Amino acid sequence: MWYRRCLPAFTALALAVAQATPAHAQEPEERKTGINRRDGHLLVSLGLQDLFKAQDTQRLLSGFTSRVLVRIAILRLDQSEPVAQAMRQTEIVYDLWDEKFRMRRFEAGGKVETREVGNVTEAIDLATVLAGFPVAEIDRLEPGASYRLSVRADLNPISQELLADVRRWLARPSARSRTGSGDSFFGSFVSIFVNPRIDDSERQLRLVSPPWVEPPR
Amino acid sequence: MRFTSLAALLILLPSLARAQILNSENEPIAAMPDGFGLHYTIERIEVRGNHKTRTELILREVVLAPGDTVTADDARVERARLRLLALGYFVDVRLSMIKGERRGFAVLVIEVEERGTIILNAIHLGTSEATSLWGGLDVAERNFLGRGLSLGAGFVSSTRPKVDGAEPALGLSLRMAGPPRLHGLLLSGSALFSRGSEFFRSQGAASEPDPADFVAVNVRRAGGVLGAGAVLSRTAYLLAEGRFEMVRAEWPTLRDRDLGQGASQPIAFLVREGSSRLGSLALTLDLDSRTDPVLPRAGRHLVVSLEAATPACASQYTYLKATAQGSLYFPLGIGHIIGVHGLLGGLLGDAPYFDRFFVGDLNLLLPPRAYGINFSTQPSRNFLGTAVADHRYDKLAGRLLIEYAVPLWRRHSLLYRGDAFVAFGVFALTNPDDLGRSGASPGQRLPADLTADLGLRLDTYIGIFTLSVANALGRLPL
Repeated sequence: MWYRRCLPAFTALALAVAQATPAHAQEPEERKTGINRRDGHLLVSLGLQDLFKAQDTQRLLSGFTSRVLVRIAILRLDQSEPVAQAMRQTEIVYDLWDEKFRMRRFEAGGKVETREVGNVTEAIDLATVLAGFPVAEIDRLEPGASYRLSVRADLNPISQELLADVRRWLARPSARSRTGSGDSFFGSFVSIFVNPRIDDSERQLRLVSPPWVEPPR
Repeated sequence: MRFTSLAALLILLPSLARAQILNSENEPIAAMPDGFGLHYTIERIEVRGNHKTRTELILREVVLAPGDTVTADDARVERARLRLLALGYFVDVRLSMIKGERRGFAVLVIEVEERGTIILNAIHLGTSEATSLWGGLDVAERNFLGRGLSLGAGFVSSTRPKVDGAEPALGLSLRMAGPPRLHGLLLSGSALFSRGSEFFRSQGAASEPDPADFVAVNVRRAGGVLGAGAVLSRTAYLLAEGRFEMVRAEWPTLRDRDLGQGASQPIAFLVREGSSRLGSLALTLDLDSRTDPVLPRAGRHLVVSLEAATPACASQYTYLKATAQGSLYFPLGIGHIIGVHGLLGGLLGDAPYFDRFFVGDLNLLLPPRAYGINFSTQPSRNFLGTAVADHRYDKLAGRLLIEYAVPLWRRHSLLYRGDAFVAFGVFALTNPDDLGRSGASPGQRLPADLTADLGLRLDTYIGIFTLSVANALGRLPL
């Protein structure tokens, strides 16, 4: 029987699928993170400078705005939903004529901070280093419970609206033909390139902190 | 992680925050204009790195011109970068500014890194009980002469089929489409030629693929299609096509099917003997809200088409064909995706066999056609014990397919992305006469069968590939 002859192929493919790690589910790197408590807030200190690669330095000098979006969630280990979330977006732009970087940081809640720095390293540090960054009020954490931080940093995130437009450009419906048997004769003309650089940001960094047990208060 | 809605809020935050800018002490500070107040007048535009792609084509996508004023966070810039990447001609695109001749002026520099734009659309290769070997290729150049024209060509050729009177197949296809435009009409055209045989059962049981039980109609087709498409909205696209082709069919000497016990019936060859013309007009509406055209994670896709062949189009075949295909994608919490695919089709009139619904187009486990040429006498497997084995070209068709996909990897290499998938489905095809036949069993009125597939879908540097068990099965006489 034909299906018996194909059984090994089916089995091999099924095993490959079963053992494959889902693309999204790759374990994020665990990174040492400073956790402090002050004035009723949990403060996080973390370096994310590796979000920028060497080639991004030139991009920062382009004269156009670069954005760094950092999102942090506190996860209780025995729960799936985050206990609290905090975000920070930094905009960096190089002033071509004054030859300095102008920076602006936004935090959820409407807080805005502006700075000017003279070199790329300083600009990257300001955008990617979290020093005593408030993530949540201490009261939201239960003493004795175990928690960890989940961190995602994005370089130049793209709005969902623009991303939807890009997907539409990629789809190129013009290249499709009628459905049904006519397709076979006229051939499939769906010639799509999907550029891996088109993602919801130019680069992403996903990290987790080591777990900690919330001390008694 | 449920970052999405909050992330969207933060992406919008700069524009929201401008209305009520506060400093770190939550005190109001002076109003901060867009782009840090940095704006430049474009002195000129330099395009670098385009060895093949014409500069005009790149500039047309960028929609910025000398004399325009841009701010540092001008949305047109990011849009232009993505638009250029979406063309598929470049691996990378960078936009930057350098100082102009005087303060406030800047030179906009567009640096592109070109990529290969020849892609493989299809590899036609297989063997069956009726045809020892067929093979061919279909390739396309997406950026012909650097003008953004799509030029595609393909061929398929076969050995002489083992069916009495059949001739070796040859199919040729040439296609061209205008440069992609965001607005306005996109014109396309294709020319085609095919020579081959279609097989009709003359004796034997319906489940037997023995070529000796078939007779061959030798058919030549030559013609073309002209199309014009227009974007109606972000998710809707309308395509109008006109088609004309000349058909020449040679019927076999044996024109009756032996039903056994001395009974026989005329074979319906479903194509006019001798020369005939086929002309039609078609409208296709495409509604696409999928997250991705190749490996979608969510969204829906509906394609509805209506094709009318009438004497007004110089056609000797008169028919109306309607097809609706829909797909729904549901992301699961663990990153896997369920896809539900449905197809419904109906045909009124006397369409030639090649425009009817073919069992091989519905059943993933049967050999596929290439440029409308069928190479096999293999009937459907008939897992449900219906009369499906006796149905090949029909007027009514339907299929429901459930697919489960698992993303395997995403990376910046020759194999960009890969999904494993498994699909199960059921299809049915019949004719109005069979459907309304009194006294017939449900399996005779509505012959149905199961279909399935399992494999990998790859998004690669040279195109999209599907490696699947059904694909292999369809190309082997198993």
